[in-house]
Amino acid sequence: MAKSLSNALLMGLTGLTAARSSRIACGSLNGIGSRYFATVPNDPDTHDDFKPKNKIENSGISLADLVEQDVKENPVMLYMKGVPEFPQCGFSSLAVRVLKHYNVPISSRNILEDAELKSAVKAYSHWPTFPQIFIKGEFIGGSDIIMNMHQSGELKEKLKDVAANSDKTA
Amino acid sequence: MASRAAIAMLSRAQRIKSNLQSALEASLLEIEDVSHQHASHAAVRASGSDGETHFNVKIVSTKFEGKSLVNRHRMVYDALADELQSGLHALSIVAKTPQEIAKK
Repeated sequence: MAKSLSNALLMGLTGLTAARSSRIACGSLNGIGSRYFATVPNDPDTHDDFKPKNKIENSGISLADLVEQDVKENPVMLYMKGVPEFPQCGFSSLAVRVLKHYNVPISSRNILEDAELKSAVKAYSHWPTFPQIFIKGEFIGGSDIIMNMHQSGELKEKLKDVAANSDKTA
Repeated sequence: MASRAAIAMLSRAQRIKSNLQSALEASLLEIEDVSHQHASHAAVRASGSDGETHFNVKIVSTKFEGKSLVNRHRMVYDALADELQSGLHALSIVAKTPQEIAKK
């Protein structure tokens, strides 16, 4: 689990299958893979868990731009506590469960790992709590709202033209 | 000790109630402290507080008319900005208009 969490940090985005894929595969996923890998120290004695966690900042892109990029490049973007495989909060867990129902690729970031990212996301969406769900670049809301939309059928409408989650072969 | 904690919890709930009442002119307002349901939550443990972190809020107001769920929730969050800065951790919000309540 530690490895998958640190992979999540290094790769930035975790798709449902991406957590198990290699770093190279995730690099090609967003086309600017080199930024995510630029600061990995070569020190073989450094365990993943001890590597600097604010890798995102070091890559030269501002957090605000990163959030903007996240939501524009990923049809379903979830900022949550923990990761989809291991949520660390009941509301985040609920959001994951609801979204998984629709067989769409879910990209996520664990905001517990990076306090500055957490602030940047809050500022971007003007929303103080997590989880936060973005669909096709639009801020949808938190777990209450996503559950509400799921029950009313609105969520199905919103996700209808999002490509089904197929196995990434990259 | 227990009574002090009880009074403290009452204060947060009361503050939430009065902030929402004045900001949103609620015709119905129900606040419930459910912090104990989240007591094992990592962030609650870390902040060291005994409660007052998670609340259920049910609010009915004409000010929600014509507004999407996201905007209604934003109005609630904006009214409680101070509380959110001072340890209020999460809100489960039900925000309805009087017409929507009447329909049920």
